[in-house]
Amino acid sequence: MRLGRRLLDAVAVLVALITVFPIYWMVLAAVKPAGEIQSLHQRPWTAAPSLDAFRRVLAVNDFGRYLLNSLVVALVVVAVSGLIAFLAAVALTRFRFRFRTTLLVTFLIAQMVPIEALTIPLFFLVRDVGTVVPGVGLNTLGSLMLVHTAFTLPFAIWMLRGFVGAIPDELDEAAQLDGAGRFTVLWRVLLPLVAPGLAATSVFSFIHAWNDFLFARTFIISEAGNQTLPMALLVFFKPDENDWGAIMAASTLMTLPVLVFFLIVRRRLVAGLGGAVKD
Amino acid sequence: MSRARRASTRAPLWLLLPAAVVLGGLFLYPMYQLGLLSVLDFTQAQVSGGQPTRFVGAENYTRLLGDSRFWEVLLSTVLFAAACVLATLAVGAGLAVLLTRVSRIPRLLLSLAAMAAWAVPAVSGSTTWMFLFDTDLGFVNQLLGIEGFNWMYDRYTAFGLVGAVVVWASFPFVMVTLYAGIEAVPKSVLEAAALDGAGAWRSFWQIMVPILRPVLAIVVIQSVIWDFKVFTQIYIMTRGGGLAGQNLTLNVYAYQQAFASSEYGRGAAIGVVMTLILLAVTLVYLRALRRSGEQL
Amino acid sequence: MRLRLAAAAALALTITACAPSTSAPAPGATDGGPRTGALKVWLFDEPNRAPKEAVVKEAVTEFTAAHPDTTVDVQYIAVDTRSERFKGAFNDPASAPDVVEYGNTDLPEYATAGGLADLGAVVGNWPEGADLAADAKASATYRGTLLGVPWYLGVRALYYRTDVLAELGLKPPATLAELTSTARAVRAAKPDMFGVAVGGKYTFGALPFVWANGGDITSIDSAPSRAGLTAYTALIAEDNCPPQNCADLTGGKTVELFASGKAAMGILGNFNRAAVDAGAAKGRYAVVPLPGLTAGSIAPAFAGGNNLGIMKNAQRPALAADFLTLLASRKYQARMYDAMGNLPTLKPASAEVVAKDPFVKPFVDTIGAGTRFVPLDPGWGKIDASAVLPTMIEKVATGKATVDEATTEAAKLIDEALTP
Repeated sequence: MRLGRRLLDAVAVLVALITVFPIYWMVLAAVKPAGEIQSLHQRPWTAAPSLDAFRRVLAVNDFGRYLLNSLVVALVVVAVSGLIAFLAAVALTRFRFRFRTTLLVTFLIAQMVPIEALTIPLFFLVRDVGTVVPGVGLNTLGSLMLVHTAFTLPFAIWMLRGFVGAIPDELDEAAQLDGAGRFTVLWRVLLPLVAPGLAATSVFSFIHAWNDFLFARTFIISEAGNQTLPMALLVFFKPDENDWGAIMAASTLMTLPVLVFFLIVRRRLVAGLGGAVKD
Repeated sequence: MSRARRASTRAPLWLLLPAAVVLGGLFLYPMYQLGLLSVLDFTQAQVSGGQPTRFVGAENYTRLLGDSRFWEVLLSTVLFAAACVLATLAVGAGLAVLLTRVSRIPRLLLSLAAMAAWAVPAVSGSTTWMFLFDTDLGFVNQLLGIEGFNWMYDRYTAFGLVGAVVVWASFPFVMVTLYAGIEAVPKSVLEAAALDGAGAWRSFWQIMVPILRPVLAIVVIQSVIWDFKVFTQIYIMTRGGGLAGQNLTLNVYAYQQAFASSEYGRGAAIGVVMTLILLAVTLVYLRALRRSGEQL
Repeated sequence: MRLRLAAAAALALTITACAPSTSAPAPGATDGGPRTGALKVWLFDEPNRAPKEAVVKEAVTEFTAAHPDTTVDVQYIAVDTRSERFKGAFNDPASAPDVVEYGNTDLPEYATAGGLADLGAVVGNWPEGADLAADAKASATYRGTLLGVPWYLGVRALYYRTDVLAELGLKPPATLAELTSTARAVRAAKPDMFGVAVGGKYTFGALPFVWANGGDITSIDSAPSRAGLTAYTALIAEDNCPPQNCADLTGGKTVELFASGKAAMGILGNFNRAAVDAGAAKGRYAVVPLPGLTAGSIAPAFAGGNNLGIMKNAQRPALAADFLTLLASRKYQARMYDAMGNLPTLKPASAEVVAKDPFVKPFVDTIGAGTRFVPLDPGWGKIDASAVLPTMIEKVATGKATVDEATTEAAKLIDEALTP
């Protein structure tokens, strides 16, 4: 029995090592001096770490700007889509109305639409909207916020539904008996209680907006200042020779914010996923 | 069922309104347009050349369905997605069970590692794996002593490598969710089963699986949806579809038809077909769930 | 029957009525647009871009000095995804750049899309415009309208390593058949080296083989075309350039192989000189025209070249014209030749270059022997963007299809794209 447990422990540690290995390699390659990257004898460590690749990335290609762009887009998407999803989730769990199930299935189906195919009509839509509201037309960060809010919404609603449903009805009923308006119940009672769930949900919205390179590539046509991170990363893939050091440094920079975000909400995410699926 | 009491209130409307506006404007309307585009002759000449659009009925579809290339791509998409889903579920479920049986420290390590893999953006993950498996400079090739081996040359090794990246990025979701589900199963139930003399295997199938079914349903549906739509990894790692297009999947194909070849109408038709397939798969699955007595 | 037709017509009408709005080619700013602000310029990214960038920077400095309160925002766009970028810019007038570099093969497609401005007046008012060679000007004209200023010409010839061939006692090949045998001889003697660097995605490396045999793109499934392709794809093999390494190479990658010393020969352009000189092959190579079927003949090369154009939707057409004519001037054409090896299109500039540098001789000879071009049809853009020819070559090179099968399939796609 004890031996069996030891064995399983060893397996778990081994799997953990294999899983993080690519990430380790990414960071390692980012700090390796150029000579070692080009080497035909890659070593899993480096004796002379250097930040050259990071400097190359940050200085040459305006990477900081792109990082900021991505961050702004992702945070706006997280906030807006979280709020809208919260309201919708309350409606779907606290009330029984006709078409409730239909709506639920619609949100599920909405997740199935291949976003790549929607780029075609969305391109024209955003272009036309842009002539009326310049802030969200093509070439702007607003256009990216808009589409990502829409695309993250179905999953966010689907997931938040579980969190709201887990809050006992008696709580808001009690508040209402105390004379609290419907609005107050929503903000003062439900929202704080759902906060952990919102945090968990926001991870998915964040990743979605952060990872996207399809819309960035299609919508941001000529405004270099509005480019986002993934596109900037692809700049380092050259027709002749890939600058692996810079690519890995850029990848590392791109991964860091998400990693931090994940570690912050980790516990809530685990609890949340357990709760979300119980319903 | 205290909720039913409030059925008559009007509240849901204004709560749902923001979602309805956003999804209606940016989802339903574009979907309607996608359907529309798919029955039009809509190419570059129409978009910016000032030529009138022409209604062509089902022509985009008939041409698509008559194109052997489309069927090849469809087949590889389905097989690739199915393999990814199965592998993701197997790895995720296996590790979730493993997590329940190991000591604290290894459990923490494994969950942190999985979280980290989950957090890596698809673009960074793809580029990192590409470097690891690079023909000459890749650590894996050097480790295995097969320098000069091009993983992207053969169709199956290319799909295999991309699949590995997909599984690496998506098993954490399955693992974490299932683990949370398993932990939520009351210990007393399992103990009771053990007292009845049920073996580990039987208690797993007869007690755990039924309790976990709703969790599994979510995990399966999400995996199907996500893996069927893999875009970034294919697009970046195989540079847009691989040698002679051998690694094309439907959505990369649709994107290329639409934006590289400016066949917006035909690209839209592929998108519609893809949505229908996903819809069919999910509906079949939901039905099976409902038949086995689960509530959505 | 009539009823059904009417219903279909009505349906078609309602449908087209709410389809995504199309933007009729709107005339750009007629007054020439603002004379200040940021001018957006798109140039092609290239292997070893630094020398090009340096020359462009110099031109930008000169331009901004002469035009107060202006900045020039130059973006280098990847050649293999240019098609999407340009179409995006055509589709959304508001985000179009002002000055663009584009390949002359893309002209019919861009012209049909209505994306480029008529430069007749600009060139007419430009003192140096009269020095443009007539055939170069023709390559920037589509259906009677001048839509670009030819910036440079590019033809490909055979680069070879003088040291390697001398060491093995080989002479530069005089026929295409000899090219193959020489390549194999090099590979046999030096297993670490490729004989001649060829790639599955290198269309303009493959086409001379087709043309030399008497074939053409529009008859890619004819016997002569097939003979040419058979010869080319036979080079993507273990005894020269193994499929594992070469089946998916682009032209740019073959440049890298030759420049870094991994290949003894390469079919490279005059414009690749800077990249080669930046590598290990520097000072150890020479260039001859790519030979044809018989000794002394030259395989027809693709008459490549890039134009500078102004987008029809440019925000600052007047500034754009000033910048374009500066970049296309004799001074900067000569600079670009020094930097990149780009053959000038202005007669005085090209005469100057030919006189001072023997390097251009094989390229000028190649042009003199007659060059060929891709079909002058908007459909070519589609054939190019959907990679019909590279897919065909890759299928053969990887053994997924025979030459006959692959060419039959490609011919069908080409016919489809070219029929209006």
